[in-house]
Amino acid sequence: MSAAGAAASGPGRSLLVAEDIAVSFGGVRAVKDLSFTVEAGEVFSIVGPNGAGKTTIFNLVSRIYDVDHGRLLLDGDDITRVPRHAVAERGIARTFQNTELFERETVLHNLLIGCHAHRRTGFLSDLLFVPAVRRQELEFRRIAEEVIDLLDLQSYRDQVIGNLPYGVRKMVEVGRALCIRPRLLLLDEPSSGLNPEETEDLAFALEDINQGLGITVVMVEHDMGLVSRASHRVMALADGALLTIGAPAEVQRHPEVLKAYLGD
Amino acid sequence: MRFIRKTRYQQDIALFRHGGQWFWYSLLLVAALAAPLLLDRFYLGELALVFIYAIAGIGLMLLVGYTGLVSLGHAGFLAIGAYAHAWLLGQGWPFPLAIGSAAALSAAVGAAIALPATRMTGIYLAVATLAFAVIVEQVIIHWASVTGGFRGMVVPAAAWLGVDLGGPAAFYVLCLALLLLCLLLALNLLRSPSGRAMTAVRDSELSAESMGVHLVRTKTLAFALSAGFTGVAGALFAHKIGYLAPDAFTLQLSILLLLMVVVGGLGSLHGVIYGALFIGLLPQVLAVVRDSVPPAIAQLPGLEPGVFGLILVLVLIYEPLGIYGRWCKVRAYFDAFPLYRRATYKRQKQYLRTERLH
Amino acid sequence: MDVYQLLISGVSQGCVYGLIALGFVLIYKATEMVNFAQGELMMLGAFVAITYVDVLGMPFLPGVLAAMATMGLIGVLLERLLLRPMIGEPHFAVLMLTIGLGFILRAVAGAIWGSSPRPLGVPYAGQVISVGELVVSIESLAIVGGTVVLCAALYGFFRFTRLGIAMQAASQNQLAAYYVGIPVKRIYGLVWALSAVVATVAGVLAAPVTLVDPLMGFIGIKAFAAAIVGGFGSLPGAIIGGLVVGLAEQFAGLYLPPGMADMSAYVILLAMLILRPQGLIASMQRKKV
Repeated sequence: MSAAGAAASGPGRSLLVAEDIAVSFGGVRAVKDLSFTVEAGEVFSIVGPNGAGKTTIFNLVSRIYDVDHGRLLLDGDDITRVPRHAVAERGIARTFQNTELFERETVLHNLLIGCHAHRRTGFLSDLLFVPAVRRQELEFRRIAEEVIDLLDLQSYRDQVIGNLPYGVRKMVEVGRALCIRPRLLLLDEPSSGLNPEETEDLAFALEDINQGLGITVVMVEHDMGLVSRASHRVMALADGALLTIGAPAEVQRHPEVLKAYLGD
Repeated sequence: MRFIRKTRYQQDIALFRHGGQWFWYSLLLVAALAAPLLLDRFYLGELALVFIYAIAGIGLMLLVGYTGLVSLGHAGFLAIGAYAHAWLLGQGWPFPLAIGSAAALSAAVGAAIALPATRMTGIYLAVATLAFAVIVEQVIIHWASVTGGFRGMVVPAAAWLGVDLGGPAAFYVLCLALLLLCLLLALNLLRSPSGRAMTAVRDSELSAESMGVHLVRTKTLAFALSAGFTGVAGALFAHKIGYLAPDAFTLQLSILLLLMVVVGGLGSLHGVIYGALFIGLLPQVLAVVRDSVPPAIAQLPGLEPGVFGLILVLVLIYEPLGIYGRWCKVRAYFDAFPLYRRATYKRQKQYLRTERLH
Repeated sequence: MDVYQLLISGVSQGCVYGLIALGFVLIYKATEMVNFAQGELMMLGAFVAITYVDVLGMPFLPGVLAAMATMGLIGVLLERLLLRPMIGEPHFAVLMLTIGLGFILRAVAGAIWGSSPRPLGVPYAGQVISVGELVVSIESLAIVGGTVVLCAALYGFFRFTRLGIAMQAASQNQLAAYYVGIPVKRIYGLVWALSAVVATVAGVLAAPVTLVDPLMGFIGIKAFAAAIVGGFGSLPGAIIGGLVVGLAEQFAGLYLPPGMADMSAYVILLAMLILRPQGLIASMQRKKV
């Protein structure tokens, strides 16, 4: 591991470990031999100019792309090649840069699909709607309602996603991810497109999620204010390679980071 | 406008949302059960056909409306259900066992089709199902020892435990009962995780997988259930037409079934019923219109499919939400009167952006 | 010798499939819509040609050109009336629409021209040339020749003319095309016109071999299989796919029991979809998130 990568981390165990991961698309090396560690219980931000490979890392961790080489470990388990649908079971949830919600369904329906990772009934029981299925539905509803309360989505519960304003959709997507009851939450540009008031709400929600629910959050962000305020550690990338990892203030002053953003 | 005060989660899970729904649907059921006493055998037969189409429609709607997988070959599953049922009855199997096995066979074939089909999207899948239907037709023609090939196959009479199910009233009640059973199963499916997984696959496969939905398993389930329901419809269809031949299960029938779900309203079981009524009663309406139209037009061989095509085109352009969608808009108009705005349902302009890489 | 005969029939039939497939792919590449009524457009084109050449008595080549022009207009009309309102709708809805359109066209053709098969009076009907022991009908040669000429013309069109490049732009990103000043809707009309013209050529070339009747369009389904085999986003793929299907059908008839040959197009299609769904000449698809 590079010196920058070995710098600073809090107490506690490592939840997500990336060892020398790399991926290329065509001739473009999107991520180059990257290593980093996310500690359990922290808010870890990834920053960098466009094209730095930030969303690609998310896509690798949630297994939408395959790494060319390297390893990804979640709490010690190797998740480098697990199938895409197993990611939620293992406790990783993510949001997407351009919200990928189920447009034709209501907010509640979307949240209930988020609970899918916890289902215990098979299709036969579902067809007959046996009491176990009914109990499970009530439990899922309870989980969804807790998330609705956390994110203040009560008034949107029965509205179809297609009719909702942008800020609300982003919250619904976060809510849907929370219904998975994840250990690790990956937020892809959560504040993009939000006005300052909505960004405030997001910051408070992040606090609740991280400190109240104890969920480790990894966030790709461009809003440096939010990053400074909400994160424990920040990783700066450029062109798919690591620049530095450290506390938000350090990273913002780091010469390499300044060069990447502002030029020479 | 009715506002329902909810105090328990159970109310959202239940099949009927409020007392009013209970009342109207019960009334409908009573009317349906009273029909044999009021209508003559011709209309009973037509309604039975409507119910059979509806059962097939439930199957197709689960696949197309709820999972987003297009099938142009559902007549194939209808054929499998029909021939299997007729053959098993011929072997002496009791009626419920025969129809159950026919449905199971159809479901198994559906699951088998799903194996390659899950890797295809949209248009490719549609064409693959088309190819499937053609192959089923060829198998029926060439496996003459079982199916009678071109000569066809007589369908044994429907009877169970001494009760004749073939008479107009009995057959009507049989079809109604099976329709209600299928509706119940479908509604159960849709309010459970399996059904939600299917709509998730329809709306966004990527995020569905991120939520833990197993794509292949869900699509296979959708195909299998769809085929199973259609197989049941096929068995009943066999009794309705009495004599099975390969030309009863053509591409035109597949398109007709698809027409049913589209015109009825994609994405809802109400749409299935409206659609079934539409395609069941349309030939009668056409027959009546034929009499009042100059013979030059009335005698045209391609008239019926031509009219179907025209209706399909008009519905898709002017009311893509189908009959049920139009009914919802009408209801919204009266609910919101006099504040209803047409813009509520106006479709946004959409721009095409290709997802192909070249 | 039998083999050569089969080869010739396979290639000429394959060219017919290929031409119709070309029509499919043209519309798909430009608008990402699938036109299931392409076979019916071919049928209509053949009937219009019959009207000009046989009924109105025009000489062959001008009659065919007039038919092509008429069908081009009809293509524009269809696009304007039926497809324009469907831009942005899910692909499945457009597919259904074109299926419905096919039914309507069949009914209209049956109404205007009747449903009994009719021949098209081509000047080279029945003529053959003998090469050694081989007997090759001029009709087959015309089909192959016509296909080659048409493909060359289309290639030149897309590669070298502004209109062709504009069509490619409109097919990739509508909004961007609007921004640079491309009249996207007019382009779509032209694409449909082009597709209808190609279908007419296919119909005219195929007419001497298969007589013209309203049900002629069912060949479109096999042509669709050909388009998929070739790779749906690729113009040369359409022709190649057509040839594959055409040849396979002929040879299947030789080696398989009767009646099975008809299925061969569908079996190839299914095999292709299972083994190599992007077709022989792939046009890749991946959604970026």
